[in-house]
Amino acid sequence: MIDRRKFLTTVALGTASAAFLSACGQSSTAGQTGSAENPVTINYTWWGNDDRAERTRKAIALFESKNPDIKVNGNFTDFAGYWQKRATEAAGGGLPDVMQWDLSYLRDYGQRNQLLDLSTVKINTDAFDKSLLPSGQIRGKTYGIPTSTNAFAVYYDPAKLQSLGVAEPDGQWTYKEFNAFMLEVGQKGNGAFYGGTDYTGVWWMFNIWLRQNNIQAFTDDGKLGFTKDDLKKWWNTTAELRGTPALVPEERVTQLAPKSAMGSNVTASEVTWDNFMAGYLGDSGAKELKLVPVPSDDPDNLGLFLKPSMLMVASAKTKYKDAAARFIDFMVNDPEVGQIFKTSRGVPASKTQRDGTTFEGTDKLVVDYEKSIEKYLKDAPEPPIVGFGTLEASFKRVSSELNYGKLTLDGAADAWFKEAEDLIKQNA
Amino acid sequence: MTTMATPTQPAPTKPPAAPVYNPKSESTTAKRVKSTIFHIVALALVAMVLYPAIWMISASFKPNSEIGGANNALWSNNFSFDNFVTAMEGIGGVSTLTFFTNSLILAVGAVVGTVLSASISAYAFARINFPGRGLFFGMMIATLLLPFHVVIIPQYIVFQQLGLVDTYVPLLIGKFLAADAFFVFLMVQFMRGLPAELDEAARIDGAGHVRIFGSIMLPLMKPALISTSIFSFIWSWNDFLGPLLYLNTPEKYPLPLALRLFVDQTQSSDYGAMIAMSVLALLPVLVFFLVFQRYIVEGVSTQGLKG
Repeated sequence: MIDRRKFLTTVALGTASAAFLSACGQSSTAGQTGSAENPVTINYTWWGNDDRAERTRKAIALFESKNPDIKVNGNFTDFAGYWQKRATEAAGGGLPDVMQWDLSYLRDYGQRNQLLDLSTVKINTDAFDKSLLPSGQIRGKTYGIPTSTNAFAVYYDPAKLQSLGVAEPDGQWTYKEFNAFMLEVGQKGNGAFYGGTDYTGVWWMFNIWLRQNNIQAFTDDGKLGFTKDDLKKWWNTTAELRGTPALVPEERVTQLAPKSAMGSNVTASEVTWDNFMAGYLGDSGAKELKLVPVPSDDPDNLGLFLKPSMLMVASAKTKYKDAAARFIDFMVNDPEVGQIFKTSRGVPASKTQRDGTTFEGTDKLVVDYEKSIEKYLKDAPEPPIVGFGTLEASFKRVSSELNYGKLTLDGAADAWFKEAEDLIKQNA
Repeated sequence: MTTMATPTQPAPTKPPAAPVYNPKSESTTAKRVKSTIFHIVALALVAMVLYPAIWMISASFKPNSEIGGANNALWSNNFSFDNFVTAMEGIGGVSTLTFFTNSLILAVGAVVGTVLSASISAYAFARINFPGRGLFFGMMIATLLLPFHVVIIPQYIVFQQLGLVDTYVPLLIGKFLAADAFFVFLMVQFMRGLPAELDEAARIDGAGHVRIFGSIMLPLMKPALISTSIFSFIWSWNDFLGPLLYLNTPEKYPLPLALRLFVDQTQSSDYGAMIAMSVLALLPVLVFFLVFQRYIVEGVSTQGLKG
């Protein structure tokens, strides 16, 4: 009896420790390579819905047929779960080899040396706009390659404007004209339609306004580049519209969540990223939505820029650097990949991929919009500071409290500045 | 002996404030009026409680653009089964049946593991007087106080080093090792209520622990075993975080992970398909609950033998 028990314990312990040791012993030899007979397998993970999963599956199949020495194992989750999972994996040292990435998380993981410096491997970036690449770089190291871009825009529903008898905007407007447009829609909408949502609560719109006034949102050493007065002035832009039918009331917005006011057919316009087009069309059931540039008081400086809508990164601990680099290169540059994804990831960032893709319908609208603002584009912002997501969310929250009338203008500016400064201090 | 500190489950909703019926002093008309009022009130309450479920079922038949947002109507003129068709098509080449099967494997594994391991551990705690029993029992209860989030990362590292990530082992091994202190506790309390004379009689007849456990305790513990099964089935069926962290291959995903994939704020969201799939995902739990529900209250509240 005892012998058998001892034997079993020894075996169990032995197996466990052997597994443990072998797992520890796998040192990362730089770039193991495979062959067609004996392919290496890399893990690739992304977030997104079933549509993206389907498209990615096609892209992976194409990659594998062109690169018989590499197999790609694809995994996906939803956006929120994606970051929970990555945080745990990073702590446990098990990040997948190649990952789809979001700009807000780039600095966080890059600074903690979780991501591979992609300038050490071979990825062709010749076809990329030079103003775009810095958004994937931190302190001289390239952690992410943009797959695609998005830009800010004003959406409107032409059918709705026509039924209300409001003229379509041409996109060359000042803030005053934009406000007047929303008010006209709201008044003619007679309670059924509002002009739009309060755009002063959108961080990126504020960022654009700062750029229009030649102010940098964050200084190079990661501090706030604007003053409380700038912020107050910005929040005051729509002060006279609050409480009028120009802006959809905050409580209505909350009721409609998770759908947007525009997606719920409650407003006729919305200021946001141009690649949300498919989502708005799907949610609202509208036949057509149009895009025009954001307002600016300086007609030559619209403050617009292209932002990577997502990036490709590799794990610093990947055993297959070469295979990972080839896969990233393929995903960002190959024209056939562009043909598979169209604009579902955003407008392809690489010119090779963009030119090799035929855009139709909705996709064409987005691509045409980005083409139309080309002459106004300035450098993409560098990767946001650590904790940017929290900052962006609190910007929205504080400004909605301002909208509810819970905070005065001064109180709101003080509240947000305090949160922002605390956060910056914490992550310094 | 009657220290029943187990959390109480809501008993089946009792009729709220049923009018007292006294046949001597009341005419039949008054009786009828009272009964009607009672039923109307009860139905109104039921409607309130069931509204979210009704909303969900009605939304599963509506086109995506009519769900949520400014549309509050329960009825749509565009009634269709399209959402169910989309939901059954699966995601990214993985069929929905696969997700169901995975959920079922995990849930059944959890039930079997928990019932086996928790009942044996409970037997040891309740009936065997081994040294340090109090201490171990205290430690087991202490694990109830440890938030799950504290142990996520250490646990992940252990399973990762053992090469067990992307298998069902991390999700099930705890169930087979009686790591769910709540169930062990539930069963210990239940067993303490069973008369010790039964074991003593069995021991006199020559039964060992195995025999006493198998032939005397287990049959008497049926209500506790069933309520444990129900809870562990439902918890495992609804678990999101565990599978999210430990499973990588979509072919191994259970339903809760798959459900989220229909909603993507950065692209388009198919609320209709998600809700349709939720309805489908709810059915097994509902059936499981309906079959066993009469045992739930019994399992938690019975203390050993009556009469």
